[in-house]
Amino acid sequence: MAATASAPRQHKIFTTPFILWVASLTAVFIVGLVGMITVLTQGLEVTGLTDQVPWGLWITLDLSAIALGAGAFSFSAAVYLFRIKSLEPMARPAVFIGFLGYTSAMLALAMDIGRPDRFYHPLIYWNVHSVLWEITWCVILYSTVLVLEVLPLVFDSHYFDRWPKLRQLGHTIHKATPVFAVLGMALSLLHQSSLGATYGVLSGRAIWYKPSLPIMFIISAVAGGMAMTLVATLVTGQIRHMKLLPRRTIEIVLRIIGVILLGYLYIKMWDWAATTYYSVSPGTADALSRLRATTPYTTTFWGLEILLGGLFPAIIIFVPQLRKNIWVLIFALTMIPMGVVVNRWNVTLSGLVVPPDWSPGIYGNTIAARYLPTTIEVMVAAGIFAYAWLGYTLGVRFLPIFGKPLPKERLITD
Amino acid sequence: MSDKKAKASQPILTRRDLLKIGGATAGAVVLTELVMKGPLSAEAIQGIGSESHPHEGSADQEWHMAIDLNKCIGCYYCVRACQAVNNVADPEMRWNVVFPETTSEGVEFFMNRPCQHCADAPCVRVCPVGATWIRPDGLVAMDYDRCIGCRYCQVACPYDVRRFNWDEPTMENIFQPDWGTPQVDTRPRGVVEKCTFCVERIDRGIELGLKPGVDKGVTPACVEICPVGARVFGDIKDTESPIYIFLRQNDTFRLREDWGTNPHVHYVAPRKEEA
Repeated sequence: MAATASAPRQHKIFTTPFILWVASLTAVFIVGLVGMITVLTQGLEVTGLTDQVPWGLWITLDLSAIALGAGAFSFSAAVYLFRIKSLEPMARPAVFIGFLGYTSAMLALAMDIGRPDRFYHPLIYWNVHSVLWEITWCVILYSTVLVLEVLPLVFDSHYFDRWPKLRQLGHTIHKATPVFAVLGMALSLLHQSSLGATYGVLSGRAIWYKPSLPIMFIISAVAGGMAMTLVATLVTGQIRHMKLLPRRTIEIVLRIIGVILLGYLYIKMWDWAATTYYSVSPGTADALSRLRATTPYTTTFWGLEILLGGLFPAIIIFVPQLRKNIWVLIFALTMIPMGVVVNRWNVTLSGLVVPPDWSPGIYGNTIAARYLPTTIEVMVAAGIFAYAWLGYTLGVRFLPIFGKPLPKERLITD
Repeated sequence: MSDKKAKASQPILTRRDLLKIGGATAGAVVLTELVMKGPLSAEAIQGIGSESHPHEGSADQEWHMAIDLNKCIGCYYCVRACQAVNNVADPEMRWNVVFPETTSEGVEFFMNRPCQHCADAPCVRVCPVGATWIRPDGLVAMDYDRCIGCRYCQVACPYDVRRFNWDEPTMENIFQPDWGTPQVDTRPRGVVEKCTFCVERIDRGIELGLKPGVDKGVTPACVEICPVGARVFGDIKDTESPIYIFLRQNDTFRLREDWGTNPHVHYVAPRKEEA
């Protein structure tokens, strides 16, 4: 692909809303930094985590960031492997968002592990029987791939006009893009689903122990990642009053997302029906009743995950009269990543707040653990969130992520 | 020669095709062997992490514990001795847990729960760095220097035996020295720990030619201090060991055998007391 034009200069780069937005994100990021320093100096004692609920908000953030970064491998594969030409404008924003997602996840993980100084241990001490070992390797390798995919983009910006050698290097790296697409797809097909298997393989936790979790994780990640990329692009276009994507591209991406969403809902329906409606497994039934009694699980599962995060956007996507309004479409698309985040929270917490019943007495099936993130945990999570949005804001402003903007016109009103 | 003729004279399988098919088959066989039987097989978790501690434990012994829930009177001596000997000051981090319980028939008893030292330990399988492993003698061991503190083992363990060092272990241990002298160092902040069956005592006992489970000082602290003999310990491969005799003479069960964890701790169920 030829070098694309540098950042648009016909617009004023620093408008007041832009400065305010960047300033507030920076402020949140600094708050997050304070939280991170607190965690590193005082240890995980400052979190609301316990031995019964050892994973919480940060693991949710981590899983969500990786899932919403799945647009990178999906669109790379679609463009560079399956040669779907009309999806080409999606590849760069997808890769960039993927890069921000994976770096956010690694930042969250660095906070979450008890010994960040030993982060490299999975690389030198291997346990091939651990899904987490496989995930660690895949995430590290795939992040490297993402860096290599983003580098040419950085070198293509007009800041590198002075260093033609670097730009040349970027173009050389870019020639290997199809290889990166194959690698990215292979690695993502492994770890995106393994993240679900992390829970699915644990025989002692009835609510998790099922082979459908890995499949549901990767499908929701592809839908969520694609929706994330599209909605970020649409919002950017609206703010800049620019048409960043051809109408046809939007239509195709919407159709793909819609079909995947429906497929996901179908599998999810059977996952629910087979394990809790048409059958009664004592472990699952007991865990669910304890969950319903102690948490708003029913509301978050049916209301946020299924209805608002799945069915609602699918309807908007498939009804032309509804998706015509750009803001309705943007809202519907935003609900998909929201559903993914709620799903990752629900999956993580549902298995933990209902501990397995191992005691031979009656005590075991009465207990439910508690978890509420502390202020420090929220600060760190908000900081990482701010990092990702700051990265995106500055990236789309200063890097040639959207290539040459299309003729100025309203987006979906044709 | 026309194209048609050339096609007709071509063999169904060329030598190249045969080589390809043969190579692929051989590769598949080797891979299948590795996954089914070799070090990659699901059964091979016995080897996880053991390479760093090749001389610890021997396959000549297999350590098991039995806890008679009828005999336990809830004195908590075992809890205190464990905290003293294993340097666990924080009551929330107890390796050995005792609490009052009631069966569904209304029989009151005291539940005891040390680490179950599962033969198919979920915690061992999930550890990404092999920091926890199964020794040849069946003990589930921990390497505090290797642990990265990801806590997946805590999530995987269905018996809630694993404890994370959320903070630096600075609390004063009120059970030392009255209930025992510390025999292991405290663990640093950020790593996971759990009941070891007092592995340092067992290893010393074997070195000295003593019998853990019988001889004083080389038997787990909780077993040794129990005033009513509710806990029995020993090598199940030794037909004269107290554990072997106990398991032959008593009806025992293990916690949630349906999970397939194959624990090394056996229980005698609480019965209604005869009036």
